[in-house]
Amino acid sequence: MASGIRDKVAIVGMGCTRFGERWDVGADGLMVEAFAEALADAGIGRKAIEAAWVGNALDDINVGNSALPAAHALRLDRIPVTRVENMCATGTEALRGATYAVASGAVDIALAIGVEKLKDTGYGGLPLRTKGVQNDLWMPYGSAPGTFAQLAGAYAARHGIDAADLKRAMAHVSWKSHQNGAHSPKAHLRGAIEMERILGAPMIADPLGIFDCCGVSDGAACAIVTTPEIARGLGRTNPVTIKAVQLSASNGWEMQFGEWDGASVPNTRAAAARAYAEAGIRDPRAELDMTEVHDCFSITELVIMEDLGLSDEGRAPADILDGRYDRDGAIPCQLDGGLKCFGHPVGASGLRMAYEVYNQLQGRAGERQRGKVDFGLTHNLGGSPFNSVAAVAILGRLN
Amino acid sequence: MEIGIAAVGGYLPMLRLDRKLAARELAWSGLAMPRTGFRAVAGWDEDPVTMAVEASRALVAMPPRALRFASTSAYFTDRAQGALLVDALALPPSLRTTDLANSRRAGTAALLDALLSGHDEVIVAAEKRDTQPGSAAHLAYGDGAAAIRTGKDPAARLAGHASLTSDFIDRYTSRDHPTPYAYEERFVRDTAVKKLLLPAIEAACAAAGITAEQIAHAACVEPVANCWKTVAKRLRCAAPNHCEALSNAAGDLGAAHPLFGLGIALGAAKPGDFVLLVGFGSGVDALVFEVTAMVPGAGEIATLLTEGEVIRDFVRFLNLTGAVSLDWGMRAEFEQKAQATVLERVGRDTIGFIGGRDSTGNVQFPKSAIPVNPTIEGPEPLEDVRLADEQASIVSVTADRLNFSPDPPFDFGLVQFDNGARVLMEMVDRPSGGFKVADRVRMCLRIKAQNVRLGFRTYFWKAAPVARPRLGEG
Repeated sequence: MASGIRDKVAIVGMGCTRFGERWDVGADGLMVEAFAEALADAGIGRKAIEAAWVGNALDDINVGNSALPAAHALRLDRIPVTRVENMCATGTEALRGATYAVASGAVDIALAIGVEKLKDTGYGGLPLRTKGVQNDLWMPYGSAPGTFAQLAGAYAARHGIDAADLKRAMAHVSWKSHQNGAHSPKAHLRGAIEMERILGAPMIADPLGIFDCCGVSDGAACAIVTTPEIARGLGRTNPVTIKAVQLSASNGWEMQFGEWDGASVPNTRAAAARAYAEAGIRDPRAELDMTEVHDCFSITELVIMEDLGLSDEGRAPADILDGRYDRDGAIPCQLDGGLKCFGHPVGASGLRMAYEVYNQLQGRAGERQRGKVDFGLTHNLGGSPFNSVAAVAILGRLN
Repeated sequence: MEIGIAAVGGYLPMLRLDRKLAARELAWSGLAMPRTGFRAVAGWDEDPVTMAVEASRALVAMPPRALRFASTSAYFTDRAQGALLVDALALPPSLRTTDLANSRRAGTAALLDALLSGHDEVIVAAEKRDTQPGSAAHLAYGDGAAAIRTGKDPAARLAGHASLTSDFIDRYTSRDHPTPYAYEERFVRDTAVKKLLLPAIEAACAAAGITAEQIAHAACVEPVANCWKTVAKRLRCAAPNHCEALSNAAGDLGAAHPLFGLGIALGAAKPGDFVLLVGFGSGVDALVFEVTAMVPGAGEIATLLTEGEVIRDFVRFLNLTGAVSLDWGMRAEFEQKAQATVLERVGRDTIGFIGGRDSTGNVQFPKSAIPVNPTIEGPEPLEDVRLADEQASIVSVTADRLNFSPDPPFDFGLVQFDNGARVLMEMVDRPSGGFKVADRVRMCLRIKAQNVRLGFRTYFWKAAPVARPRLGEG
């Protein structure tokens, strides 16, 4: 069995722009903003970067395809630059590429950067795109909330939960993230929202109301990764290290084979199981101090809590309502506000999650700091519940 | 060997406009319009092809020798709808097809030609006609389809027939005037009755060796109201005109109207009865049938008039009939472009809803080189399995209000077929409470994507409730 990448790669610098409606800046400017923060954090110059992975999910929205937009924006010096795209898991996919490059010994210092300029679509929500001329002949064109909303009915049917009770738990997810987002200076949405307003919001895709949906934002985030030895050389006595990065992709089983009941996301379970094994985590409920998960919609976060093994099957609504995942709960989720409030510039989100965990691990999260954090988990979910890519990363410290 | 009608089928879209609603909304205008009864209204994703499939699908369990499609409102003008129907109904490509158009009489013309050919054929007529809001036709016309299977040893034999061809213009449409331009009703009634309807019906009865008094049921298309009343009085015929009832309950179905009316008439007739069929438009076709047995499918046709859902919003009716053009915002700018290369490769499997069965018996859609079944290691050939006639249940569903739909919300979700296949599908004919997990659904062909700029559309199957509500109860 492969030994995995636990503790073979350290993060020495991270940057993250303010997320939101960044009318003032393009994708290039967003990347420069995040990169400058990461370089300063790492204490290195631009030319120290030996290879880069750039994540961008919707290249046609004012970013451009290939590695070139990032190479141009950051004036990378004829190094290998690779563009990766894996829907909403793109940010973690970029981190995975850079991490593997360092872990393999191919390079000493690598950059992972994710960027998205969604507000150049001209309208709210994610844009509709072709699924390929062959799939277009039969595949429905549902919106992102439309696909994830279907988790709710299927979850209620599987567990025999009343739709109103489930909606209340979903509303708590959003309420909690708005509370957290208020403490995040770089978050897109920084206002706390009352439960009644969440429950009474206009419907987007039954049963998801507007407050069950995450912000659609502009933003960029990045990480500079290297070996633990070099990290020490840069002054990190106990550097943040990557304990695991795992990915799982659907092969059509959920959509085409008649076994899945639609109430969970199998790829999250597969990626989490491998990540826990790679990180050496045996009891995630006891060992994880925080999570940043892909709360694109409130029901998604609810289901993720079970998929990650943090709640028992059918217990996530009760755990959520009990405050288990609130900022003062047993395993706080979305301390920075999550996709819901920090925002969701698709290609940047995985790295934004890592940015929060990285800061929490170093006690640098300001008023959001959750005491001593030893292990934090990030989770990215691309696509739809029935056709997804899930990424799970676990960060900690070397010692 | 006698030729005649072996079976009939019909289809009406689920939605109905109560003409009283339209009359109320337009009262300020003082325009003359029909104020009673209902008009069948096609969904945004229905057209003559999709409705023709619904009307004829029960008649093609055994492939006929030929298929004739009749419509004055077919979408494609140089792409045979008959060819689309062959693929949608999974019929053999060796089957001969003909598209007929340019007259409301195309339905009866196709039927008579099929009968005179002496072969086992399917004739299907369907209409979704453009009309101008404010015109009587906007409310008097309806959308729908009817199909007839001809054959030897029929349940209703052709006893006699007569036709008159005449460039009599009661109304017309043209390239430059695609909605009907209608002339004065009294002129139309007087002329049509005297010059066309009476002589043709009398000739058909004579050919059948009967008098008009012997006709028990009629399906007579009326270019304007009360034509049959005048004709019947002159001919001393007491038969009810089932086309009149159809006009009242669903609207004038154009080329499909006489065939649908005939279906109702055959459902009401008993063995030994004579049934009159009259098609009208640039002349008249009059056909007399003698019913010898219960006609398969006829019993169900009248039921279609009593099922459906009444539209509560007049603007929704205007939107569905293309009478208003709403600004749906930037999301509506998205266009799908179909490629002929792809349609040639997988189009028949798509419009025919053909999945594949692997070596373990599992069914999947679409087909793939390596089956989705996780127990199968590598590529293997799949056996064709048509999913169109399979029932299924909903695994997950939502009413998507963000995604653009010409008639929101956009219902879609995962559908589990009883034979094991699972497909992500759109849902149509939404029940009043919306779709729910575990609801039973049936498959119906609809427009999948409409590219207005390129003037092209693609078709795929969508999931609909197994049963419809009774009209007024939905």
